[in-house]
Amino acid sequence: MASKISDFLGSAAAVATGMGVTFKEMMSPTVTEDYPDVPPSFQERYRGTHVLQRDENGLEKCVACFLCAANCPSNCIYIEAAENTDQTRISGGERYASVYNIDYSRCIFCGYCVEACPTDAITHGHEFEQASYDTSTLIYRKERLLTASAAGSAAPAEMKRAS
Amino acid sequence: MSDLVHLTIDGKPIEAPAGTLLIDAVRKYGIEIPAFCYYEGLALQAACRMCLVEVEKMPKLQTACTLPVAEGMVVRTETPVVADARKAMLELVLTNHPLDCPVCDKGGECELQDMTFRYGAGEGRFNETKQHIDEKQWSPVVFFDRPRCILCYRCVRICNEGMGVAALGIANRAVTSEIIPNEADHLNCDECGMCIDVCPVGALTSGPYRYKTRPWEMDHIATICAHCADGCKTTLGVRNNSIIRANNRDHSGLNGDFLCVKGRFAFDYGASQERLQTPLARVDGKLEPISWTRALKTIAAKFGEVRQRGGAFGVIGSNHTTNEENYYLQKFARQGLGTNNIDHHRTGDVITLIDALAGKGGQLATVEDIYNAPAVVVLGCDLSHQHPMLAYQLRANVRHHQAQIYPITPGPVREDNQATRSLRVDKGGEVEALGSLAAELKQAGGVVILYGDPVKGDAVRKLVDFGESLGVPVKYVALVDYSNSRGAIEMGLTPELLPGMTPSNTGGMRIGQMLASTDLDVLWVVGANPLKNRAALAGKPFLVVQDLFRTETAEQADIVLPAGSAYEKNGTVTNVCGQVQMLKKGIGAMGTKTDLDIFALLAKEMKLDLGPATPDALLAEIRTTVKGYDVVLAVLATGGAAMTGVNGPVAIDVPVDAIHSANDTMYTSGSISRYSKALTSLMEYPGELYSGKSK
Ligand code: SF4
Ligand code: SF4
Ligand code: SF4
Ligand code: SF4
Ligand code: SF4
Ligand code: FES
Repeated sequence: MASKISDFLGSAAAVATGMGVTFKEMMSPTVTEDYPDVPPSFQERYRGTHVLQRDENGLEKCVACFLCAANCPSNCIYIEAAENTDQTRISGGERYASVYNIDYSRCIFCGYCVEACPTDAITHGHEFEQASYDTSTLIYRKERLLTASAAGSAAPAEMKRAS
Repeated sequence: MSDLVHLTIDGKPIEAPAGTLLIDAVRKYGIEIPAFCYYEGLALQAACRMCLVEVEKMPKLQTACTLPVAEGMVVRTETPVVADARKAMLELVLTNHPLDCPVCDKGGECELQDMTFRYGAGEGRFNETKQHIDEKQWSPVVFFDRPRCILCYRCVRICNEGMGVAALGIANRAVTSEIIPNEADHLNCDECGMCIDVCPVGALTSGPYRYKTRPWEMDHIATICAHCADGCKTTLGVRNNSIIRANNRDHSGLNGDFLCVKGRFAFDYGASQERLQTPLARVDGKLEPISWTRALKTIAAKFGEVRQRGGAFGVIGSNHTTNEENYYLQKFARQGLGTNNIDHHRTGDVITLIDALAGKGGQLATVEDIYNAPAVVVLGCDLSHQHPMLAYQLRANVRHHQAQIYPITPGPVREDNQATRSLRVDKGGEVEALGSLAAELKQAGGVVILYGDPVKGDAVRKLVDFGESLGVPVKYVALVDYSNSRGAIEMGLTPELLPGMTPSNTGGMRIGQMLASTDLDVLWVVGANPLKNRAALAGKPFLVVQDLFRTETAEQADIVLPAGSAYEKNGTVTNVCGQVQMLKKGIGAMGTKTDLDIFALLAKEMKLDLGPATPDALLAEIRTTVKGYDVVLAVLATGGAAMTGVNGPVAIDVPVDAIHSANDTMYTSGSISRYSKALTSLMEYPGELYSGKSK
């Protein structure tokens, strides 16, 4: 008999403890995000899809030095370089990237490319929705990576400080 | 052995021949002393002070690039004092050096970058604004960026001493010093790009390579230059199946660091817009594209039919195809088609020389011999134009060993500048004129004689008689034009000779006879352009042409097959001295097949059994069956040059009238150069022999 009573009391205590946690959480602020109904928020230094930056004149910052590609541990950056001329000036330096591809089926978002870049041209943005049923769509070309406007406006906050 | 001196370097005992510079002596022991201005083989400059080392009992740091080794010397190359001195020198060098590494073509293989990484300060103390000077274009292939120049004067010295051109000079003094070209704002020179090659930084850059890629992004493929007969080794920088640059990256091979304008820049001909990418067949008088299958079937059917009815074939081979291809082609002609009408454009009389030297042995000079001989005679050839690498070695011989040189030519040549004596004679009079040099040559104690196409037939025999009469060691080089001219002769592309210079004893037509014949049923031209300066064939044979382009000959063909260039195949070639080297495939070209593959497919289509047709199998066959070609495979495979031992007697009548050089200049290359943008864009193109230019 005694064991039944103690069983009952034990269970009641456990339920009370559990409900205690539930009530406490009901009172405190929510941390769950309602993605995809509400856009998620990120830490400033979150490493998402890369953004190729422009300088204050709207020229591309990338000078096709290939250092990001050299530093990339998964070998997923592909660049072709070309020379700026007086007629077509794409970047601020002597050369620019005529082709700049990142293969996101291989990128591990380590950020080494960003570390290597001497002109702060390649940065991590906050975009992360890359899932695809077709891996061939995971090679992003320069046109897709390049920020639309002149320096700052489209860059993530932390990059604004750096540039 | 007596003149070896012993010294201690970084605690290690080493020895070196007396007179060796410290910087050279330590290299053998795996110690590298940094240097900007020092360049092996050129005059000493001692301008950069990077090579400072500590030497015991000497109060100050010494420059290792000017200090000869001495008995008992104790040297330390890596001490804090030395590192400090190097750091200070770098700080000075970098005073006005731009922070260009991300865009600079030299980035990744820059000596200044490496040194700064090793010894440089993290930050500079000179904070003044850097002076900017715009980059200058000196020629289609040479660009100069003044702020990057560290004034080591390597370029000035290589152009002056190495090339004998002296197109570069120095203007102004001190911080305003500047390297300047010979024609105020542009260069008029060999356009060899040697200055670019030796520049330790990115001050001199190459037009075709500029801003295209990075050294580490390319595959580096070591092969042999496709143009003249000298056989320079070149490293192709390949990315995405296209050649971006050529330089002899590791300075190995017969040429060391050397490449002429053709080797360095004229790799682009294969990428010409005019390159054939599909077989063509004549339809209603016009050449129209057809498929490979149809082209091969048509040719095989025609060849088979003509052979069946005992018709006449003519085969013209190439000076550019590999030994394996040449060997297989003559086998195809002789065994497969049953004809001995096989020939190629002969550019020098090698055969008479081999015959005249029968039984002597060891008298064919190698490239090394030209660098080492006490005396060198050049007969009937503008060496700097026609054999740029041999001429480079000859100049080095004069600088390093004070060789005596004697050009005997119809007009002024660059070799005159260094000649002990130059003789001007009419073509054909060269050997005659040689008599007056007998005493001097005897005195010299050893001679290498190079002779061009005016010396042929009996003149060669007279030449050898003269050489024999000197009583000192004499070696010879019969100068021929193209990358595998030698191999064409030795692989049996003449009616007179089978492979290994074995007389064939069967008659056969030569090129001239084939072109003039009205009896040929088939004419098969492989990688040659015999109709370049001729209107048309005399007869109406079925004309098959294998080539890269629609040459004059291809324009008249019934079927044209697009072939691969020398940079697109494996195999071996034999250079002007008889040294065999290996080609390595760098790229592939859309729609084309190598000549060997074409032969093999045709043989298969015709059901001929000519044995295996891969470069490896054929090389093995050549090494075992062709006289003089039992070269060591390991030497070839490791990128070395193996001397052949083809030997006389060669008891045939040499048709001397068939021998004539194409007289290419250093800017031209038979029918190929016109497809090279790099060459045709030069203001010096096409150049002229015996013009006395480039003195
Ligand atoms: S984040 Fe890392 S893996 Fe991705 S591209 Fe950059 S270096 Fe390569
Ligand atoms: S020369 Fe060398 S150090 Fe100077 S910018 Fe070019 S790569 Fe950098
Ligand atoms: S390209 Fe050759 S010849 Fe011309 S300046 Fe340079 S080293 Fe001299
Ligand atoms: S251009 Fe290059 S090789 Fe010539 S002096 Fe300047 S750094 Fe030296
Ligand atoms: S010397 Fe002859 S083999 Fe050498 S790079 Fe020039 S053309 Fe080529
Ligand atoms: S290498 Fe010795 S001073 Fe330049």
